[in-house]
Amino acid sequence: MRALVIDDSRAMRRIVGTILKDFGFEVREAGDGQQALDLLHEGKAEGWVPDLCCIDWNMPVMDGLQFVMAVRANPEFRQVTLMMVTTESETGQIVKALAAGAHEYLIKPFTADALRDKLALLGLLPEEVSA
Amino acid sequence: MTLSRARPITELLDTETVQSICDEVWPSLVGDGEAFVPVPVAPPAEVVSAWVDIIGPWTGSVVVTCAPSTAAALTESVLMTRPPTVVDDEDVADALGELANVLGGNVKSVLPGESRLGLPQIGSAPARGRLDDVRALVGQWRGNYLTITVQGTAPHPSGTEVPQ
Repeated sequence: MRALVIDDSRAMRRIVGTILKDFGFEVREAGDGQQALDLLHEGKAEGWVPDLCCIDWNMPVMDGLQFVMAVRANPEFRQVTLMMVTTESETGQIVKALAAGAHEYLIKPFTADALRDKLALLGLLPEEVSA
Repeated sequence: MTLSRARPITELLDTETVQSICDEVWPSLVGDGEAFVPVPVAPPAEVVSAWVDIIGPWTGSVVVTCAPSTAAALTESVLMTRPPTVVDDEDVADALGELANVLGGNVKSVLPGESRLGLPQIGSAPARGRLDDVRALVGQWRGNYLTITVQGTAPHPSGTEVPQ
């Protein structure tokens, strides 16, 4: 499994990335939505398309919601699962993200178990980790 | 023309709510078994702050303030670094900023109305607004001074409120 972690905080990228690596993911990182879009296109050219994107909401240059909309507008990336990982916890924000095409929503702060539960829900956990 | 006076944070947010947010954030972000303890200790000579702005019906900042050495220790804990790995200034700014961001996001979620969260900033804490528009939690982490302040934006430089 491959994952792209998108967050302007290096600390948060490292935390999410470490958990995902423990679950067997190969992880790449981006510091904002635009950088992530560029990585998606570059990755596509070299045959590296993520199964999962973990996306912060509030980021400079291009925020998480804009990124979700941009990915959903491109049929080349329709297989990519999009999960918001953000402090934005109001119902209205969650609805907005899901309506834009995000599949799941995880509110910061979160535990490794909470992330694992979301991945299991999305069918993205290897069997040995789910067991 | 009428001048609107927004409700101060003391009417919107109590100390227990701020503490409960810390109780959730510390173990998840800072580390298992870690806690912000609301028992004041003497403030250090030098402090550093990280904050995020909340813009909405209530406008202000959520500020985390501690000694630079405490900020470095917090960063090591957030990043789970082990010696000989050392954290640099960029790591500290990033980790303290993320702590303010997560605290700020959770504070925003309990405030009435729709608000927007700014990006984390680090440096000297922004000036406080009205005296009654501050909810401060003074305490400690691992015995070191740390405060979390939810404070209204300082008044317009002209000294008058902006007409709404």
